[in-house]
Amino acid sequence: MPIPRGVDDVWLVVPVFNEQAVIGSVIEEILRTYPNVVCVDDGSSDGSAEAIASTGAHLVRHPINLGQGAALQTGLTYACARPGAQYFVTFDADGQHRVEDALNMVAKARSGEADVVLGSRFLESAATVPALKRFVLRCIAALSPAARRLNLTDAHNGLRVFTRPVVEEFRISMNRMAHASEIVSYLSRSSWRVAEMPVSVLYTDYSMSKGQSLVNGVNVLFDLSVRQRGA
Amino acid sequence: MLIQILLLIVISGLLVVFVRSRHGVRMQAGKRIGLVLFALVNFYAILRPDDLTAVANWFGVGRGTDLLLYALVVVFLLAMLNTYLRFQGVERQLTELARTLAVREAEIVNRDRGLLSASDPVVTAVTSGQPEHPSARDS
Repeated sequence: MPIPRGVDDVWLVVPVFNEQAVIGSVIEEILRTYPNVVCVDDGSSDGSAEAIASTGAHLVRHPINLGQGAALQTGLTYACARPGAQYFVTFDADGQHRVEDALNMVAKARSGEADVVLGSRFLESAATVPALKRFVLRCIAALSPAARRLNLTDAHNGLRVFTRPVVEEFRISMNRMAHASEIVSYLSRSSWRVAEMPVSVLYTDYSMSKGQSLVNGVNVLFDLSVRQRGA
Repeated sequence: MLIQILLLIVISGLLVVFVRSRHGVRMQAGKRIGLVLFALVNFYAILRPDDLTAVANWFGVGRGTDLLLYALVVVFLLAMLNTYLRFQGVERQLTELARTLAVREAEIVNRDRGLLSASDPVVTAVTSGQPEHPSARDS
């Protein structure tokens, strides 16, 4: 398998929870471009772990289900410990992200223009995003003070690129879905240069059935507001 | 009414204290003293309900039992919040434990699968994200 130059220092972190049906093909797709993939199986009850083990991806298994934020942090911790790792890409397991987008975002980070590159569904065309979801996501981006400060158009996209210093300093403490807001609010308080790049998201029936419901936003707000400050 | 203002101030004040403060020894002791005091006041209120009604009237509440009910609501909410924060702390520790375990095991498994070379360093300790215990930080 020919590996393009300059991908050895890139690690893709894929949190996996009950994605047996698609995870194998998603990993194969990534491995065609990036040799370093770490999948964090977040205590799946289906055959996700076996599906990952049969590919060439690194497998980290949470002994119990902890949530997507925790899985991301575990993957980042694991990848960060690998020698030579410089760029860290968070990538969804349900196949809704495209590897080409990740490539472009890593190139942007590599050019030194940004320390963090976030994917946005809304920068170019938002045609593929369902209307209600588009409306709610735009509202979140517009209402969140952190997202406004960073001029973000999409605060909750799973495709992100972090450079090593950022991963070393930041730590996701929100185990479940609130980590997306946590990341944005951290970035807005930090001095890291944040860039946003257009990505397209493939909303298949499968990914739609997996996506987080809008009702879950209530839980996110509660998790974020009631937590020990400074802890 | 005086009682409304008072209760609102007490609730919000204690909420802020509980949420913002790091739970040290002093805080712990404070909570326990508060609990004991609340219990003692209750004893007294049960034995001498008329006294409680007098206090209630002074605060602008009709009956002593109503005052007790308000106080109970405050105490209940605080207890709930306390439990929630306690669980959050436990969850954080559990996450650290599970993460350390998962990463260590993964390094062994992935080495067996031929994905890691034998010379790769093993993460001996996942740097702790818990600044409340200085001893838990190894960085």
